[in-house]
Amino acid sequence: MYGFEALTFNVDGGYLEAIVRGHRAGLLTASDYNNLCQCENLDDIKMHLSATEYGPYLQNEPSPLHTTTIVEKCTLKLVDEYKHMLCQATEPLSTFLEYITYGHMIDNVVLIVTGTLHERDVHELLEKCHPLGMFDSIATLAVAQNMRELYRLVLVDTPLAPYFSECITSEDLDDMNIEIMRNTLYKAYLEDFYRFCQKLGGATAEIMSDLLSFEADRRAVNITINSIGTELTRDDRRKLYSNFGLLYPYGHEELAVCEDIDQVRGVMEKYPPYQSIFAKMSYGESQMLDKAFYEEEVKRLCLAFEQQFHYAVFFAYMRLREQEIRNLMWISECVAQNQKSRVHDSVVFIF
Amino acid sequence: MEEEEDQSLSFSEVVEEQGQRGSEEENVVQFLDSLDSYLTLFDSLSSTLRQGWLELASARHSMGVSRINGTLLDLKPHSAATTLQVSEPDVDYMVGQPHFKLSKWASSSNENCCSGEEKIREDKLQTKSDSPQLRHRSQFSGTPATIGAPLIVDDQVQKERSKSLSMFGTLVSPKLRSAQLSFETALETLVEIANMRSTMFSTSDQIRKEMAGPRDDNKRYCIAEEVCD
Repeated sequence: MYGFEALTFNVDGGYLEAIVRGHRAGLLTASDYNNLCQCENLDDIKMHLSATEYGPYLQNEPSPLHTTTIVEKCTLKLVDEYKHMLCQATEPLSTFLEYITYGHMIDNVVLIVTGTLHERDVHELLEKCHPLGMFDSIATLAVAQNMRELYRLVLVDTPLAPYFSECITSEDLDDMNIEIMRNTLYKAYLEDFYRFCQKLGGATAEIMSDLLSFEADRRAVNITINSIGTELTRDDRRKLYSNFGLLYPYGHEELAVCEDIDQVRGVMEKYPPYQSIFAKMSYGESQMLDKAFYEEEVKRLCLAFEQQFHYAVFFAYMRLREQEIRNLMWISECVAQNQKSRVHDSVVFIF
Repeated sequence: MEEEEDQSLSFSEVVEEQGQRGSEEENVVQFLDSLDSYLTLFDSLSSTLRQGWLELASARHSMGVSRINGTLLDLKPHSAATTLQVSEPDVDYMVGQPHFKLSKWASSSNENCCSGEEKIREDKLQTKSDSPQLRHRSQFSGTPATIGAPLIVDDQVQKERSKSLSMFGTLVSPKLRSAQLSFETALETLVEIANMRSTMFSTSDQIRKEMAGPRDDNKRYCIAEEVCD
């Protein structure tokens, strides 16, 4: 019953909630970002990060550093924290934590399949996979020629199996099919995660439904903008939108027929939570849209920590860390390319 | 009489000399112009490439590291989307005639989409706005042939661009398309640099030949002075 979590939550989840709140306190601060933005080269960045929780992960990396190395090592820290929480979690928190990684699993599947289609070596592809999305039989993906084989040989024994029912065909895999497969899988995953959170009820359901609805709406906007000018038909575009969220169903109907960014703006400005996002952009411009969406997401994720005794803090923490890693990647790229004036184009501060 | 003939001959030699000097100066001016253009193009190339690399990083930031990385590049054999034609210099080589021609977005399935200079002109007409990737869908697919030709070419170019980006997925971020346009512009600039360099060397050669000409230049100048006196 909603409101009585305080009585029972700490029995199973108290320790891990304390752990995740402690991790939350370790996120980079404003002064950390100020120092990082003033670095002259990647070794300076490494030096500044050595004073943070990323220090142990970067200290043994030899110079010259590369931006991908910084991202990989920072991601390893997140993976270690996640694995510690997962191994300490009991049901239903363990299932909730596993759900958080299914998005990365989908990305890894698509990476392997796409790379194989392009005749790349499997070992090379496995090195690029996100560690949170790894599973045992992932290397076998390289053998599949179409989605039916993909499902039968590999994915039937993975958590992604239920999401394949909507996209199993015998057509050979090509770039368009793979893109549709990616988006169909992600849609099914989000809807499944949403239903799971609703079943959990209480504060978890309330907060997670807000966060997942925002994710679904953002996906819909990105799919719309990215498909403008491509061969994706309006019907196919409509099928990739999730069946929940603030934009469902009327916003989706309007987005499906949009042909340019201004029409997308016209649709989104009818929804008050998204008016502020599009108010930051000038007409015809979409470059700052990603940053605007990330800022809104970070605001909502930080609000999740204002309430206790729910699982959304775990989801929020993972997302905030991923945002932090994106920030570090962007700062590193700007420093490496000697474009420090552009640092603030994409950095989203979290505090 | 003979002295008058000598004087008229000297005068014509002076006129010829002045004509040659004018031609030399013209070559020197042309050389300096081409050098200035060459340096300007280099600056332009540098800034275009910087912009392209940053846009690529921005696309990686937006789409994710797993969607944009070197392991997704297609290693299967496929025809070049863009080719460079190098024409041999003729005997009657004219200064300013480009040696290099870019043939953009020509694939085996689309042999009509070529002719580098035409394409460069057409693409320059497409203004690069803040969101160049936002193309209207071809609303003119059923229009009469009279207004269809440039739009058909435009559609073909867009299709070829999307095809080359398809290794990263078919629904890519506008930032990636923007990066593609930047690198495309950089490629055009490189060809212009090559042509400008060719022009520079050609005028430089001409100047050297003229400077290494007959050694009685001083004598001619003396004759000119005498005539003037």
